[in-house]
Amino acid sequence: MKAAKPAANADQRGDRELVYAARDGNMPAFDALFYRYRDGIFRLGLAITKDPSAAEEIVVDTFARAHRALARLEPDDSLRPWLYRVAVNLSYNRRPRKNVVLSSLDDAAGDTFANDEASPSLLAEQAELRRIILETVDALSPKHRLVVVLHYMNGLNLAEIAQVVDCPVGTVKSRLHYALRRLRTHLAAHPELGIEPSRPLLATGLRAVQPITAHLPVEDQ
Amino acid sequence: MRLFGRGCSFVERTTTAVAGGLSSWERSDVEKHASACAECADALRDAVAIDVALTRAFAPLRSRRTMLAPGRVRVALGPAPEERSSRWLRAPAVFARLAEVSVALGVVLFAVSTSVEAPSGAVAPQPHSVIREYFRSQPPTEDIDYFRWLRLQPAERAGAAVDLVRLPVGGRFDVEQVETVINPTSTPR
Repeated sequence: MKAAKPAANADQRGDRELVYAARDGNMPAFDALFYRYRDGIFRLGLAITKDPSAAEEIVVDTFARAHRALARLEPDDSLRPWLYRVAVNLSYNRRPRKNVVLSSLDDAAGDTFANDEASPSLLAEQAELRRIILETVDALSPKHRLVVVLHYMNGLNLAEIAQVVDCPVGTVKSRLHYALRRLRTHLAAHPELGIEPSRPLLATGLRAVQPITAHLPVEDQ
Repeated sequence: MRLFGRGCSFVERTTTAVAGGLSSWERSDVEKHASACAECADALRDAVAIDVALTRAFAPLRSRRTMLAPGRVRVALGPAPEERSSRWLRAPAVFARLAEVSVALGVVLFAVSTSVEAPSGAVAPQPHSVIREYFRSQPPTEDIDYFRWLRLQPAERAGAAVDLVRLPVGGRFDVEQVETVINPTSTPR
């Protein structure tokens, strides 16, 4: 009986072990790293370039660079920030191809949004809200948009984002705060999102304290 | 003191708390502060709302995948480098390369030396040779070469008879015909 092909994420070894194995010429170890991070890098490239074929080229170029840098690569805990940093640099250095109309983030989402249980009107409403939010994210400056994309799309925490963008964690916090404040200003016109318009500070200070209805999301530890 | 400082200094921490950048006790500290600060309470509520909206908006993008295979990376890397052989196994290749270089250098030097002409002034005058002069003074045996040679001979050597011959004008010679005297030494052998 023919052995089944191992799954993409079947290799349970950590990044450090896989890097050391790939350094010794073990190509399956390098393939395991590729399968582990290709989707995240693809999504990051897609969010920046908005071109799926360019995003795939970024994935290939990122791992080609990683393979060439295996000898001097010293992953402490995770290879992910290093790979994402290379991918971000490649994405921003890539010039948009001619005769290619870049789509927005919403178009880059493609047909993956599907929910058979929701009604068509609800789906249309959700799609419209998503379009508004992603267009607002698109309107941010590149460094603020990158922080938002890395956190909300790629799921990186603030420390990892700081490694990717090569700046202190405090700067990442500040950029994220600024980006969310800009989003709050732009999205306040849509009451269905539950975001109240910005209030004058003096009025804010004189207002009575309202009970907090929104609780912080609890992370799975 | 913050320049143009306005509002509560805890506001930025609300965003950090929502983004998961605080520890549990720091987060509870922010919550406790927000319960007493209206500005931070609003900021926290809005941050949570925006966080939820962004999470939902990016959900379809988070499910985007690619079917790229690692073979594409190998193609991009090019052929695998050859394994390093020992120094003694590489020695013949080094000598062969040296031989190639020396042959190529010789060909280039030969081509350069043959293509460059020596300056005319540098030609040394050949020494006088009686034998060469003798053969040079001998008329050629072929007719056309002989007449050409004869025409190029000095007048005193050719007997000065050539200039005396004129073409006839009006059916008769304008000068008296003289008998051509050929130098006996110039006759063909």
